[in-house]
Amino acid sequence: MVDFIQNCIDGVMLGSSYALLAIGFTLIFGVMRRLNLSYGPSIMLGAFVGTLVYLEFQAGGLAVATATVVGAVLAGMYVERMCFWAIRQGAALASMVSSFAVWMQLEEIVTIVFPERTYSFPPFIEAVPLDVGPFFIKLENLIMFLCAGLAAVLLHGLLYRTRFGLAVRAVSENPQAAKFMGINIGIVMFWAFAVASGLGGVAAYLILGADGQITPLFGLWATFKGMIAMMLGGMGSIPGAILGGLLLGVIEAHSLWYLGTEYRDLVAYFVLFLFLIFRPGGLMGQVAAEREEAAMRRV
Amino acid sequence: MDPYLVSVLSNIGMISFIALSAYLLLLVGEISFGQQAFFAISAYGSGIATAMWGWPLWLGLIWGAALAGFAALLVAIPTLRLRGLYFSIATLAFAEMVRLIFEIFTYQIEIDGELVGPDGSEGFRDIRYVFESDVTAFEYMIVIYVLLASVLGFFFLLERSRLGAIFRMLGEDPMLTEMQGLNAIRYKLLAVVMAGIIAGIGGGLYAHLTTYVEPKIFNVMLGVHSLAYGLIGGLGTAIGPLIGVAIDIGFLESIRGLAGYRMIVFGGLVAVLLIFRPRGLLDESAVHWLRLRLRRRRDAAG
Repeated sequence: MVDFIQNCIDGVMLGSSYALLAIGFTLIFGVMRRLNLSYGPSIMLGAFVGTLVYLEFQAGGLAVATATVVGAVLAGMYVERMCFWAIRQGAALASMVSSFAVWMQLEEIVTIVFPERTYSFPPFIEAVPLDVGPFFIKLENLIMFLCAGLAAVLLHGLLYRTRFGLAVRAVSENPQAAKFMGINIGIVMFWAFAVASGLGGVAAYLILGADGQITPLFGLWATFKGMIAMMLGGMGSIPGAILGGLLLGVIEAHSLWYLGTEYRDLVAYFVLFLFLIFRPGGLMGQVAAEREEAAMRRV
Repeated sequence: MDPYLVSVLSNIGMISFIALSAYLLLLVGEISFGQQAFFAISAYGSGIATAMWGWPLWLGLIWGAALAGFAALLVAIPTLRLRGLYFSIATLAFAEMVRLIFEIFTYQIEIDGELVGPDGSEGFRDIRYVFESDVTAFEYMIVIYVLLASVLGFFFLLERSRLGAIFRMLGEDPMLTEMQGLNAIRYKLLAVVMAGIIAGIGGGLYAHLTTYVEPKIFNVMLGVHSLAYGLIGGLGTAIGPLIGVAIDIGFLESIRGLAGYRMIVFGGLVAVLLIFRPRGLLDESAVHWLRLRLRRRRDAAG
């Protein structure tokens, strides 16, 4: 029983990093309705900018974090201009493949500047395990968990309390109608992308800080973990992204404990597959998916 | 022929199969991130058949392709009612499951005092049928291209058949297809199985050329690449994916001088190409235009 609960705690802590990635992913997908494969690689580039600042200037946590976020936002803006703004609305497939091409670019830039595979990344806090009764929690994971919650609250505020948020929601609901209402879709998408990339930068800083190291493979990892968490939670839903991330973490923690390393990802993909077949809307997106389905049937 | 050129051409030929299989699904309007799974299933299946059961190559290849087609049928049945991105992610999940299962799949038997067979993440060594039967690399390349030509011939017939027209209509508008009284799901099922078989042929050829396969070759990057090939070369004709593969592998091989920078150049070129031609170099309108030109010239000559 203790093991089971400890696994759940570990899973939630691990899952908060997935949740952070999924929030950014879901924001982009909600607005664009197109898949950005380059999401992970662009925040990976940001994290390497942070690493550069750390290695060159022996800078402290705040400078590294800022550099990471700025780097991620710039890379995200490049991806948006190249793969989404420049390609017309309907060509979702072209955007996706183009974001893959840009991914290759970003990865190569990083390997040119950082020829060794692995670099150390500054931890944002002294690693101290906290004992809570029979369980223990890593402090850096707890902070990650709180940050994921905070990010969700802030994003919710941004989306539901500001004019910009209203515009973002209008565009994701119906781009055509939003355009007729005088909303400049291009600008809204651009800034939504920038916000998502910035969020991704924060996520990268926290995840890599807790890990203590960075490799170019982080891009692939972040894209696919974020995507799986987003799908588990339901596409386009922010609470869903968080729940999906946590669920993914808990699944991984349990399968790691009971079945071993080889089965960790296998079980995660299996659960994802079952979810897609039996509940394609994910945890939170079912209502939206059913509404869409009903609308299709009416047509 | 220069052995280096033979190996590059053989690679282009084999990867073309998986690119064509992704292309067939793009025709019916589905994006699959998972064609590498069928490539992998056939690579292992046919390798086991020839190296462990002593089957001849041709039977091994058929067996591998059939296994791949059967696997495609099994995945397609539950996933095909999913639309758009949901289907894509389901194929991704399936393909990753296949890869991770091969990471733990061990099946070895002793042949001449040596253990032969897949050994989890260690991979599957000694698929030496081609090597042992004295087939030269050049001859094997011919085999690859003969098979590729037959698949292309199949596509050529498909494009001119009623089935091809239905596939393209499905890609444009599944609802319209349903309104014609056609069962959209059943046609998609057919397309998925065909695509699985095509990827499977490539997988079997791959295993026997390299004599060694390991699970991590069949990761999601291979799947995304094969999607990209169709889109670079163009979705108007089955030649498109081949152009995509040739550009990628050929270009990357030929600009070794650019060393570390080639992905930056290549990625940028692809991104810019897609801005101007979102459905690739030889898209439907380009193919249509070319056909018209050809016909006019033929008419003028005749």
